[in-house]
Amino acid sequence: MGLREQDIDSILDVYPAKVKRNRKKHILLRDTALETQEIEANARTIPGIISNRGCAFAGCKGVVLGPLKDFVHIVHGPIGCAYYTWGTRRNKARIEDPKQYFLNYCFSTDMQESDIVFGGEKKLAGMIDEVVETFHPNAIAVTATCPVGLIGDDIQAVAREAEKRHGVPVMAFNCEGYRGVSQSAGHHIANNGLMEHVIGRGDLEEPPTRFAVNMLGEYNIGGDSWEIERVLRDIGYEVIAVMTGGGSFETLKNAHVANLNLVQCHRSINYIADMLEKKYGTPWLKINFIGINNTIQSLRNMAVYFGDAKLQERTEEVIAREMSRVEPVLEQYRKICQGKTAFCFVGGSRGHNYQGIFAELGVETILAGYEFAHRDDYEGRAIIPQIKINADNQNIPELTVEPDKKRFRMKVSPEKMAELQEKIPLCEYKGMIVEMQSSSLIVDDLNHFETEAFIERLKPDIFCSGIKDKYVAHKMGVPSKQLHSYDYSGPYYGFKGAVKFAQDITMGFVSPTWNYITPPWKNKPLLKGDVQKEEVQNVGLYTKRT
Amino acid sequence: MEEQAVSYRSVNENPCHMCMPIGAILPFKGVERSMVLIHGSQGCSTYMRRHISEHFNEPVDVGSSSLNEKGTVYGGEANLKQGLDNLIKIYHPSLIGVLTTCLAETIGEDIDRIGQEYLRERKMDNFPLVTVPTPGYGHSHSEGFSLAVKRILARLARKSPSHGRINVLVPNISPADLREIKRLLEIMGVRYTLLPDFSETLDAPFTSPYHKIPSGGTGLNSIREMPGAIATLQMGVTLEEGFSPGKYLEEEYRVPLFNLPLPIGLENTDTFIRSLQKVTGAPVPEILLKERGRLLDAMVDAHKYNFAGRCIIFGEPELVYAMAGTCLENGVTPVAVATGGKGAKLKTLLQTLRDRYAADAPDTGNGKGVGPVFLPEADFDIMRRTARERGANLAIGHSGGKYLTEKEGIPLVRMGFPIHDRVGGQRIFSAGYAGTTVFLDRITNTLLERKLSGYRERIYRQFYRGKKYDLV
Ligand code: SF4
Ligand code: SF4
Repeated sequence: MGLREQDIDSILDVYPAKVKRNRKKHILLRDTALETQEIEANARTIPGIISNRGCAFAGCKGVVLGPLKDFVHIVHGPIGCAYYTWGTRRNKARIEDPKQYFLNYCFSTDMQESDIVFGGEKKLAGMIDEVVETFHPNAIAVTATCPVGLIGDDIQAVAREAEKRHGVPVMAFNCEGYRGVSQSAGHHIANNGLMEHVIGRGDLEEPPTRFAVNMLGEYNIGGDSWEIERVLRDIGYEVIAVMTGGGSFETLKNAHVANLNLVQCHRSINYIADMLEKKYGTPWLKINFIGINNTIQSLRNMAVYFGDAKLQERTEEVIAREMSRVEPVLEQYRKICQGKTAFCFVGGSRGHNYQGIFAELGVETILAGYEFAHRDDYEGRAIIPQIKINADNQNIPELTVEPDKKRFRMKVSPEKMAELQEKIPLCEYKGMIVEMQSSSLIVDDLNHFETEAFIERLKPDIFCSGIKDKYVAHKMGVPSKQLHSYDYSGPYYGFKGAVKFAQDITMGFVSPTWNYITPPWKNKPLLKGDVQKEEVQNVGLYTKRT
Repeated sequence: MEEQAVSYRSVNENPCHMCMPIGAILPFKGVERSMVLIHGSQGCSTYMRRHISEHFNEPVDVGSSSLNEKGTVYGGEANLKQGLDNLIKIYHPSLIGVLTTCLAETIGEDIDRIGQEYLRERKMDNFPLVTVPTPGYGHSHSEGFSLAVKRILARLARKSPSHGRINVLVPNISPADLREIKRLLEIMGVRYTLLPDFSETLDAPFTSPYHKIPSGGTGLNSIREMPGAIATLQMGVTLEEGFSPGKYLEEEYRVPLFNLPLPIGLENTDTFIRSLQKVTGAPVPEILLKERGRLLDAMVDAHKYNFAGRCIIFGEPELVYAMAGTCLENGVTPVAVATGGKGAKLKTLLQTLRDRYAADAPDTGNGKGVGPVFLPEADFDIMRRTARERGANLAIGHSGGKYLTEKEGIPLVRMGFPIHDRVGGQRIFSAGYAGTTVFLDRITNTLLERKLSGYRERIYRQFYRGKKYDLV
């Protein structure tokens, strides 16, 4: 059923020779017999090949900064970019203080031709003044779109001045869309800014409890982190800050006090996790709260890290209780999902993180990939020293941090660290490739043409990606699940989320709609009529084409 | 007519319009076997694909030249040419539209020159490459749309012998409305060229196998021959100078131009049918008379509910104008009409409407005012304040208006582009007598729903406890 090298080759034959050579490096046929397998990633998008990638601005404002609810986010640029990032990610947040909640707003300086010619600094400064006067937000983030960098507006200076003028934190982010090769550049720019200007700004010195953690690289799509926080609180953890789903300036400024950083999305946050370790002595743990087994494993690993008998006991209690609730429900979905196949092409971490829950449901991931990940997300962190710096990743300013004189506390000794690393993925991530089955496909920056070609050849039972490509799958008669914004559903994390996910996926398989795709007058006479008829009767309404 | 000052603020808080290139993509989707390449960094095209896809619930393929930092310094020529190569190799389009973005315009890319050079180098001199300069900071998506239509015409149209067809030029309306306009043309027995026509491409039926470029769209030859038409009917009364494709045909090829409003509303549809009748000279077929009669019947039945409607209408000028007329002829009072762009012509047109309908109308808002104020370059902050001040109880426009529902409890009748929080943006049907009837039902039922949901409590408070309450 799987593809062979020559099949991939013939699919790519449509491309001009140069493009074909390029794309081949981004496509990998998994062979578990090999110790390591290489893939090209985080490289330039090929012009004219319809990719799903966005720009640095999308990664910075759209993904990382956008969810911070007590910031007013001012997009400095023409209207389009701001409009397109207005409430499109479905990152949820609780309204604690209605006066400090701005997620449903979209602010733009709406640059006009004259601003492009004469510069937009004044307009931006004026806008900040108005925003402070009208909204008194806890903080303001200014994000730049393409033209801003080109006309040379110094938004950093405007922000500094405004901060002085108003005494409100104002941060500027030079995340013009042409920087880097994808959203990933923007994540970096945003996170660097938060590291520099927000974390550590609070005056908390000690965590409220020993079991204080931050959740990094978690964006609370459809309420994901609420489900996780529910479980964590129940066990006895305190979540200091989430970076950034449902997060805020108010909580993030005290993130330095946590005793452990949990990393959900390795791609968007691993460098910050590293920096937090260097600056405050807090190690990070790669967790994955998607799927029952992954959630349980993550909770147990956390308990191992803290090494507290009571906490361990409570962890097991909560796991047992949650399991008794969800297992019976999951079973009915498993029956339907068993033996199905999926494509899982998402972002920079979900392409991997969702494979576990699919496996639990009996669904095999036969193609996976990322839109904007780097090689370490595929091959594991061991590859990092070998990744070449090129012209494209150079232009993102690197932030270097030093141990904080006052606040650095080594949370675990080097010996303890080594001991823990034997047992749990502390400051470690092994990437997607090792977990994939032989002859499955790994595709980086899957594009429109390849999406269609691979669906046609591999005929997955479900296609998981985003809104731009899901309709291609639908047109080909394949159900889809948006794993960026969940088609208005979710949460999918943790125990309750797993049930919701199973339900949604199953819905895709059993919808009676699929039975009508072939009009009755087109039905060819069935040669093996009896067998087929019997099958159909057995499963009643819930049949799906075979 | 009253007009709210807008320029005192630097803020655009929750915008009502999008940027120029997203509007320019749409007409290309309504031309047979065509593809679009956007010259700039890939973010723009990805965002636009995302938004167009979400509205139409269809795959929307738009290429990008994927400029990066290097391209911004040394120019993006190589990227653009490579992008064209790849697009042609994979999709075999019959026509390619090349649009610019803020980035390309700011660094001064000359897409005309690059395009011509490309065709010469590849020995494809006759290939229709249509360039459209669409800086995001230049105009809104509405101007992007009409400029693209004009440039398509300018590239393809040829002096042609008279062929007896008429040209029908449309603004950004739903595929359902495009189909209705075609149906009306056919019922009236008119031979026509409709441009653009994305009624099939952006609302494609499920078929097997799937085609990368969906079938449908205006044929290239039909576009080439548009100068040989008897006349042009352009649904573009609000079009500004320089953005009118019909004007282009008139000036270059002397095709008589008739600008009409969109056929939404009784009067507007009458105008459309009457114009067609002038072309054919034949009587209006029975079936249309019946449809008109049904609309009238619906209007009579609904008038008692509609008079309580005080609506705020927003969106693209052409649609906004047609909707305002429809509301007024049904006794729904538009208290504000807003558009994201400048809308200079719209202002004058609304003034005329207001003089006709609203001059002597009673103030159903108990002192909050009669007839619409016009809000050009509006954002949802201004709309929200105006809606509150003028006692609006209904909003009509695209999904951005959900903000008015969330903040002010004003129910929204979804109409226009984009619809991203509901399915079926492509199927919203409002054109012709039949479409107007269902549009009107949507309005009336929204008013009724609002009325009935709090009816008992309101009546109780109004009549039994003597509290004065709005008549809604
Ligand atoms: S406003 Fe300009 S930069 Fe922004 S999306 Fe539109 S074209 Fe691109
Ligand atoms: S690429 Fe530039 S112009 Fe386009 S959306 Fe991103 S920041 Fe805006």
